[in-house]
Amino acid sequence: MGEQVLLDRILEPGSLSVHFQPVMEVHGSRVKPHYLEALIRGPHGTTAESPAILFEYARKKNRESDVDRACVGAILGAASSLPADTTVGINVHASTLAMDAGFVKFLAAGLSARKLSPRRLVVEIVEHAPPWDVVGFGTAIEALRRLGARIALDDVGLGHSNYMMILECRPDYFKVDRHFVSGCSRDFHRRAVIASVAQLARPFGARVVAEGVEDLADLAALKRLGINLIQGFLFGQPGLASDVLASAAMLHRRSGAAGRSASRTHAGR
Amino acid sequence: MTEPGVSAKRILLLDDEEAILLPTAKYFRGLGCTVDMAREPEEAEALISHRRYDLVILDLRVTRFGGAEGLEVLREIRRRDHGTSVIVLSAYISAEVEEEARALGADGVLRKPQPLPDLAHLAFALMGMPRG
Repeated sequence: MGEQVLLDRILEPGSLSVHFQPVMEVHGSRVKPHYLEALIRGPHGTTAESPAILFEYARKKNRESDVDRACVGAILGAASSLPADTTVGINVHASTLAMDAGFVKFLAAGLSARKLSPRRLVVEIVEHAPPWDVVGFGTAIEALRRLGARIALDDVGLGHSNYMMILECRPDYFKVDRHFVSGCSRDFHRRAVIASVAQLARPFGARVVAEGVEDLADLAALKRLGINLIQGFLFGQPGLASDVLASAAMLHRRSGAAGRSASRTHAGR
Repeated sequence: MTEPGVSAKRILLLDDEEAILLPTAKYFRGLGCTVDMAREPEEAEALISHRRYDLVILDLRVTRFGGAEGLEVLREIRRRDHGTSVIVLSAYISAEVEEEARALGADGVLRKPQPLPDLAHLAFALMGMPRG
């Protein structure tokens, strides 16, 4: 068998599937979708169907950039069927931005071909393996900003998403990893870490997204810390765009009704 | 019928020959094991990074370049060591290769092709479930 059987399958047009998970904005009892993060699944029936295996394999093959480009193609294809006011989050490896000098142009061309505004885009920077070319990375971030995309730093607090990355990215969103979020209502130290990220985000004019929120107690703790962008199973599992949008819209309607009912009850007292 | 405890056993097979990989996977699945298949060293290493295996059965030479890439995978397994047992298979086993594989932590070194019942006999012994 050839050496690159799996890689060839991954790069085959149509082999990657796209799911979305909403980042919800929560104010009081009201929730509404803020943006949808696109999540990739590798070719069905292969070990790379799991995104963790897919990207680890791409890293081991030194083909992260090619796989990131294939992911962008699949995601923009899926995003073109979304309503025009939906913002989409796309994960891109820092190493791809640093090493693939043509990546931002490729992304811009993809957006243009599908008539998608770059302002609907949040580029979520993920990093797993230093070292990377800081100059190349900075140039790419600058180009993304000129394009009109917003920047999110993923997995803040873990691995290589550290202070240096924060300085290089100047993110619009700090995404706090589930490791710190899950169980934060019962753990003072987890809340302390989240509060420090929220404080750090403020001078950058950035917002904090809490990932991996699965229960109401953690949601309440996060709201008390002033975090109101929430992602996790509490508001929906990753799914097809149409299902995720329908479920997010239903949550929005119900929370609006609940909010109105709460206001009436309050006013009646 | 699956023996108690066997279904909990997770095995990774690394081989670039479908004619060996597929029947081996089918055989171990038939014995109730959960089996992942990798056709390249990088795929095996990616799987090892994210999943724990009770046993890895790897072909020493898994690319057309003819090197001993399987040994790199063995090194990676031992670097992470979660108590995974490893059987190295090769069509060409010299005393030096066997010595190197064992020095890197292989629990068994067998010549390819190996009758599946014999391979399973060693596999289950290494996983602490000796078969009579």
